[in-house]
Amino acid sequence: MKDQDESLYYVGDFPVPESPEPGQEPKPWGKTRVIGKPIPRVDAYERVSGAAVYTSDVTFSDILYGVVLGSPYANAKVRSIDVASALKMPGVHAILTGSTKGADLVWPYVWGKDKAKLFDPHCRYEGDLIAGVCAETPYQAWDSARAIKVDYEVLPFVSDERKALDPKSKAVEAPDKRVAKTEKYERGNLEKGFAEADIVLETEYRTECQIQTPIEPHGCVAKWDGDHLTLWHSTQGVFYIQQQVAEVLGIPLSKVRVIGRYMGGGFGSKLEAGKYTIVAALLAKMTGRPVKLLLSREETFLVTGNRPPSNMKLKAGVKKDGTLTALHFTVLGTGGAYESGGISLTDWLVRDLYTCPNVMCESTEVLINAGLTCPFRAPGHPQGAWALEQMMDSLSEKIGMDPVEFRLKNIPSFSQARQGNPPYTTTGLKECLEQGAKAFGWEEARKKTAQQDKDNPVRSGVGMGACLWFVGGGGPPSTIVLKLFADGSANLNMGASDLGTGTKTIMAMVVSEELGIKPDKIQVENADTGSTQFATRSGGSKTIPTESPAVRAAAIDVKRQLFQIAAEELKVPASNLALQNGEIIPNADQSKKVKLNKLEALKKRGVIIGIGYRGPNPEKKWVNPFAAQFCEVKVDTRTGEVRIVRFFAAHDSGRVMNRLTYDNQVIGGITMGIGLAMTEMRVLDHNETGKVVSRNWHDYKLPTALDVPWEIVSIAIDPNDTEANTTGAKGLGEPVTIPTAAAIANAVYNATGIRITNTPINPLQLSRLMAEHKTRR
Amino acid sequence: MLPNFSYIRVKSLQEAVEASQGGGTHILAGGTDLLGCLRDQIFSADQIVSITRLSALKGISQTSDGGLRIGALTTITEIAESPVIKQLFPGLARAASEVASPALRNRGTVGGNLCQKPRCWYYRGEFRCLRKGGDTCYALGGENQYHGIFGSDYKCCIVHPSDIAPMLMALGASVKVTGPRGSRNVPIENFFVLPKDDVRRETVLGSGEIVEEILVPKPPDGLRTSYRKVRVRLAWDFAVVGLALALVFKGDKVELGSMVLGGTAPIPWRSKSAEHVIIGHRLDAKISLKAAETSVKDAQPLEHNAYKVSLLRAIVEEELNKLAQG
Amino acid sequence: MKKIIKLTINGESVEAAVEPNRTLLQFLREDLGLTGTKHGCGLGDCGACTVIMEGRAVNSCLILAIQAHGKEIITIEGLAEGGRLHPIQQAFVDKGAIQCGFCTPGMILSAKALLDRNPKPTEMEIRTAISGNLCRCTGYQKIVEAIESASETIGSEEVS
Repeated sequence: MKDQDESLYYVGDFPVPESPEPGQEPKPWGKTRVIGKPIPRVDAYERVSGAAVYTSDVTFSDILYGVVLGSPYANAKVRSIDVASALKMPGVHAILTGSTKGADLVWPYVWGKDKAKLFDPHCRYEGDLIAGVCAETPYQAWDSARAIKVDYEVLPFVSDERKALDPKSKAVEAPDKRVAKTEKYERGNLEKGFAEADIVLETEYRTECQIQTPIEPHGCVAKWDGDHLTLWHSTQGVFYIQQQVAEVLGIPLSKVRVIGRYMGGGFGSKLEAGKYTIVAALLAKMTGRPVKLLLSREETFLVTGNRPPSNMKLKAGVKKDGTLTALHFTVLGTGGAYESGGISLTDWLVRDLYTCPNVMCESTEVLINAGLTCPFRAPGHPQGAWALEQMMDSLSEKIGMDPVEFRLKNIPSFSQARQGNPPYTTTGLKECLEQGAKAFGWEEARKKTAQQDKDNPVRSGVGMGACLWFVGGGGPPSTIVLKLFADGSANLNMGASDLGTGTKTIMAMVVSEELGIKPDKIQVENADTGSTQFATRSGGSKTIPTESPAVRAAAIDVKRQLFQIAAEELKVPASNLALQNGEIIPNADQSKKVKLNKLEALKKRGVIIGIGYRGPNPEKKWVNPFAAQFCEVKVDTRTGEVRIVRFFAAHDSGRVMNRLTYDNQVIGGITMGIGLAMTEMRVLDHNETGKVVSRNWHDYKLPTALDVPWEIVSIAIDPNDTEANTTGAKGLGEPVTIPTAAAIANAVYNATGIRITNTPINPLQLSRLMAEHKTRR
Repeated sequence: MLPNFSYIRVKSLQEAVEASQGGGTHILAGGTDLLGCLRDQIFSADQIVSITRLSALKGISQTSDGGLRIGALTTITEIAESPVIKQLFPGLARAASEVASPALRNRGTVGGNLCQKPRCWYYRGEFRCLRKGGDTCYALGGENQYHGIFGSDYKCCIVHPSDIAPMLMALGASVKVTGPRGSRNVPIENFFVLPKDDVRRETVLGSGEIVEEILVPKPPDGLRTSYRKVRVRLAWDFAVVGLALALVFKGDKVELGSMVLGGTAPIPWRSKSAEHVIIGHRLDAKISLKAAETSVKDAQPLEHNAYKVSLLRAIVEEELNKLAQG
Repeated sequence: MKKIIKLTINGESVEAAVEPNRTLLQFLREDLGLTGTKHGCGLGDCGACTVIMEGRAVNSCLILAIQAHGKEIITIEGLAEGGRLHPIQQAFVDKGAIQCGFCTPGMILSAKALLDRNPKPTEMEIRTAISGNLCRCTGYQKIVEAIESASETIGSEEVS
């Protein structure tokens, strides 16, 4: 092997970290060479050149195209399906319905209905599966699907969860099932708490339904080789899809391979297989050909999940000195036509964010004839924050205290809502508030807005919000395999998906930190159940804290083996060796150092394989990320047009692993929060049909490059968490979008004196509120 | 998913006229609305006639009387970037720059923009509404937050989606239409059709008739134009309300004035009563306020769009005050 | 009935027979295997399908392949030369302007169409140029920074 130029392979002006003794956890990194730096993605070339293969790019010469026929009604029973003429149409190879042999399968992922069917003859939401078609071209498949004759019994529907409990409303499930789930939490004595308060306020709030709609449509390619199924799937977790598909089809896990190396965003909507996944698999089986089934953009507004609408009421009591005495929170939410997390975690921030001895939360999930919820980037939390953070502002105004100061008075160091009140490993909430406020110029900005010209119809305002995310510490299981090759390059094998968050890059950086190899000499293989190791889904902001310690462990395993064989070769004890810049250096005699790729033993072996497992989380402690976000807005009080001028976000997500991906998550999360606050809203035709009328991307409005503030600053607060896990990282992907909408509403209040209790904040709502406000004054 | 259609690309306008008589034929210019309509199955198409190579229909030029001739195939981008339009009719350039998105402006044509189909989400959705031959306007009792406050006669409450049409109407433009019986000049205010007259069509174009060009009269001395679009997000969004103003000032008095509203009615909505308030007067704050109130006097809001009344009132007042300052 | 079209894609002559109802996007992705251009919606709402046609950014999902006859098209695959990234692509990499990457080809082409005409754009001009390209991941800020950086790089070096 010719002499490689080491500078190409190694990075480091100081040695790699010392390996821990076997059985001991490694020490936290001190000064890092690579971790924390703004290093570009390891797969940037693929993404930026168009070379990356996403699910929709997979093709075969004999591929067929599949489409799904979904119910066009909010609530209907399928009396009969006639596919005869549809089947005869040009290019059609197969049509699948519930009565097709082998298709009468149980779909066990509709919560609360153990025996729910894949093809349910009672379609309780628009888009629920009726048939699948595959043909030579997508056009032919669509034409055929439209030609399928379905005899529906169209039923009355309920589409507004606020009316679902009304006995005059149609109950989604016969005979009278309207409520899917209720939850109650309490601590202390609410009555006593309110009695102690100097100020008691009560307000109702509502957030509208938000839909993930990542830019890449949902879909998969299914291909059978004999009895073995391969699925290329746009997903946040290939092993989970494998599990679901094997379960539904009744085949062993070993016979299902799921590949999902590149995927175009998920935000929770791609955590699970869809009915379309099984349809594609069955069509592929029926025809003996690979089937590509991609949902149309319109379908993604119907059946891929959402952040449920939340109707909240919050009653809060506070003493004049800023002590919270009581919080009573109720929420009415909906997960759609089946129980599916419609109230999930909406009350968590009320339970846990601020110190309060007397708390009660009552949540009711009702059923409506609409598409099912699924976890959407911090489920429940942005809704809860919308209520809680606005109430905190209202309270602080009543007691004459600065909103930041008020929050600083009420920061717990432990989780109040959990049994045993476990402390947090670290809480940087105080620093997020203080440093965020300072960097934003909070005090001066508040003074300025208080003194602004009252006659100017365009008014400035500043507002903020704080949060925690109820998990974010990750946890086992995860298995990582790391191979060190004889030339000093490495192959990292991991099962976790990279949703675009930068997972692959960060894991390569962990290896680089431990072994000194340059990140671009580390090839990352991921997201393939056939060739990569088991990992849980990328969601819940748990990927970095779950995988990075396991990767570190694998790297340490490699290092240990490396030192062992080097020790034998150099006849020096392993504990006296250091590794720097690709050289094994005996501490006692540096002249005996040898380049990695010159180590005879390594050349002979060819490869060293290290295995890392994710160890357990700290006992009796919880790992949570925290944040505070600040924003400035300008409101045209004549029209209700709001422009966001700037946003500052101070986040405690533990150690910053990669500064570029970290900041991107913050900016992206704030943008999604702006969508919830101002532009996004699923609209159902409540009056006549219950159908979704906002089913394209100009009726369902995502923020564009002109809608976001031109200045979004991300401040990283690293509390130096040495207990959370061996890399000190906490989750980031979700906390970034939790306080955003509330911060905007608080800023609008600061500008106008009008409390916006319902999303979205837009001219439709504000122009009317402004006009009413003017006439009242 | 586009239906199967046959396709011809014509070499002359005459050829296009001949090819497009009879039903099932649609003209293809930029295609940004046509393809969307076909995908949404608003109508079927047996034959597509592409007029994209008719160079005579492209471009902006000055007419002998000092006005402008804008070929129907002129793209929205060309209008937004045109130095002569920016100079003579800045409101028109502004209106064009606010249409849709850059990529859509690059392909969309002014002819297509005038002839575009409504964006009512019932019309574009799986609803067989009045305009598509059914017997219900779903918006009247339904989700009408984006629908009109004028001109529906409680029959069909779409709003015209164009930004350019209100501005052209305010400028007194006319449309040259060529068809089987030759050419005719249709003043823009006669180009659009109210639901009460015919709920099945949006323009007066007959079978085989094609928009050839738009003629804008010479700008009088003292002309000031503006276009204001209120929207939910700042790009690729239709007007929640839109306001096109073309006022001719003599000294500080308004000699002539045209005020046309977008996003409020099935056709660009001329606000003649508000114009009467300002014509012949100095445009001071009181007059602007009075004009604003007059502009919404006859509004017929629906259940969810009463906000358009206060919004419209606000921007009429604001824009008149702005134009008064030059 | 299929029609013959002849066009130039990334500098190369292409001749093919296409059905009239085939969109340019389908033609690029399925007939030519140029899968860098993405399908996001099919309605011109998202810009994932952006290509450059005759120097202007366009949504290829709303153009019939037949309409591209005789035209010059640039797709994302046409930017890098011999494995060396175009300055805009390199800037996206360096500034971290990529997350899931699905909107990225469309963004880059909108940026190229802008910089080819307006080498020193203001931030407003940049944001306007990409206002029809939806991104759900990045919040646009680093994309804007990347385009600004690319305009400086292109301005200061000879790029053929």
